[in-house]
Amino acid sequence: MRFFQFGLVISVLVADGFAQSQTDSTSIADSLMMLQLQVQMQPQAASEQSASVVRSAPSTNPDISAIGDFRTSYASEGSRNVETYFNALEVQVSSVVDPYAEANFLFSFGKDSLNGDYSAGLEVATLTSLSLPYSLQVTLGKFKPHFTKVNTLHPHAFSFVEFPTMIKNYFGNEGLFMEGMSASVLVPNPWEFYQELDVEIGRSESTPALDNGASNRLLYSAHLNNFFELSDNSTLGVGLSGLSGVNALDLPTTMVGFDFTYKWKPVQFNTYQSFTWQTEALICKTDTAVGNTIQTYGAYTYFEYQIEKRTFVGAQFDYSGLPGIEKSDERTASLLLRFQPTEFQIFALEFQNVNRNYTSSYYQIMFRAIFGIGTHAAHAY
Amino acid sequence: MKKNIVLVILLLLAVSSSYSQLKVVTTIPDLKSIAEFIGGDRVDAFSIATGYQNPHFVDPKPSYILKLSKADVFITVGLDLEIGWVPALLNSARNQKIQKGGEGYVDASTNIPLLQIPSSVNRGEGDIHIFGNPHYWLDPLNGKIIAQTITNTLSRLDPEHQVQFQSNLKKFNETADVKIKEWETKLSRFKNTKVIAYHNEWPYFEQRFGLKIVDFLEPKPGIPPTPSQLAKIINVMKREQIKIIINSPYFTAESAELVARNSGGKVVTLATSVGATQAIKTYFDLFDYNVNQLVSALQ
Repeated sequence: MRFFQFGLVISVLVADGFAQSQTDSTSIADSLMMLQLQVQMQPQAASEQSASVVRSAPSTNPDISAIGDFRTSYASEGSRNVETYFNALEVQVSSVVDPYAEANFLFSFGKDSLNGDYSAGLEVATLTSLSLPYSLQVTLGKFKPHFTKVNTLHPHAFSFVEFPTMIKNYFGNEGLFMEGMSASVLVPNPWEFYQELDVEIGRSESTPALDNGASNRLLYSAHLNNFFELSDNSTLGVGLSGLSGVNALDLPTTMVGFDFTYKWKPVQFNTYQSFTWQTEALICKTDTAVGNTIQTYGAYTYFEYQIEKRTFVGAQFDYSGLPGIEKSDERTASLLLRFQPTEFQIFALEFQNVNRNYTSSYYQIMFRAIFGIGTHAAHAY
Repeated sequence: MKKNIVLVILLLLAVSSSYSQLKVVTTIPDLKSIAEFIGGDRVDAFSIATGYQNPHFVDPKPSYILKLSKADVFITVGLDLEIGWVPALLNSARNQKIQKGGEGYVDASTNIPLLQIPSSVNRGEGDIHIFGNPHYWLDPLNGKIIAQTITNTLSRLDPEHQVQFQSNLKKFNETADVKIKEWETKLSRFKNTKVIAYHNEWPYFEQRFGLKIVDFLEPKPGIPPTPSQLAKIINVMKREQIKIIINSPYFTAESAELVARNSGGKVVTLATSVGATQAIKTYFDLFDYNVNQLVSALQ
């Protein structure tokens, strides 16, 4: 019955999304199109295009955007296993400060998964240089460090409804945040391919793997990103990350990460077709007592294929241990269907099967609607 | 001996300095073509978008950051055409010269008489450009204004070769004047011919050559064709005896061909930029190609 209720909610939401956008004529068979055309072909007045002579005034206001994240889910376990809730509202304000720097602020109004109350939080507040010598760029403030590729994203920018399990298990649902300084440099090399080194130092928020709230020791992280254009239509990104900090016991935690991203997108029809394969892995060494180190692992790989202008399908496979806990792991398999009428509305339906060796396993079906207004800065490639 | 070595080094430095080119990065190949015409051997130009790519949707690949980090000049169409990808690239370029307001930042829309400036803006109207329609390079007369803007920048950054740039500008303008007359003459007998277009990117071309674009396959700018819109277009084409649907290289042709089949019309794919086909190597080739395509389709 609950499954039926969940299905009903999904159908209404998806039908609404489809109704708003209608079907792209390029993606369906001509015969189906002809049927619709026959219905639609009633005499109509030709629309007149209005001309205007008013010119919009330039403005020094910052770019402001608001992004809503609504979710509905059904899980095969738990006494309350149907959820429908507004997960978060993200408000971003960004602008250049002066010729030398830009600033970016991101506020999140999210629902607390424990008590159900909404609370506001500051997720990002950064000042980033634009013109330092030697290809150097420095960021100060609160940001998401470049440990792994996916951690730098905000959840709305990730294709799947939730972050990969390894990110959730080691850094929490939203990933790792840090307050401090980040420096990045374009590394010159004789082959002239893009190579960027990011180095960060600061304090992290409390996460399952890291917690230097009470410690005087800082968190250090670094990421080396290598990018290759294999052809006009395909690219390869390979990165290596490292991180050193302390855990809740005030003992060292070190992590190493690897990322690999292959993208294919035909330049001429890049809005119609694309394929992405991304894989990341991490090794975490956590000291649980002096002289006692526990090594755990996490990894995920996902594929996403754009089958037509507004429809994507994907699959993701995750493996993740738990930081500082031996022989406990979680294996997840997910299937994704994503529909986006425009870049301002994204509907995602995901089936996820979760197998855990330390507690019960379950499956869940999740639906997410992302919708944005205002001017939102483009995400990094 | 030492003196000779120093002299040789100084001579080499002087020679390399006099031959050092301005590195120009443009967003679209049309701006690259004009920059090369004006700059000649004094510029080394690179276009981020290709000629057969939709300039609204270009992926901000990190390799472009590398190009921009070394650029002396960055030329953009402006008017928010590239808002989805240029800010991300510029913010990561670490190059003050080409940031907005920098000495090497060139907004090619400067002094262009803009069309279709909206009086109000609402995303419900689709991808509306608040400063006006940004496809202004498709009027060759605007090409002359772009060439003047680029000449001003190159002359400021490389004053030693100002005379060369001015001379190239003169040649560009003379060629444009001759060509515009030739193109206008070829299309004169089709003045006020009604056509349909896929996307609203031809108002400047339409104004220059006297075509009349009646409607679009997209119901709103940036929104893919819907059955109701296509049905409406078929009716309009039948009622008004419209025979031509203008498509662009980066839109799939299915919608246009479907409408053509059901209305007795014909699909003509025009080039929106230099490099859209192998034959279009320069800004002038772009109009040669488009005018010839239209003439052969309309007659």
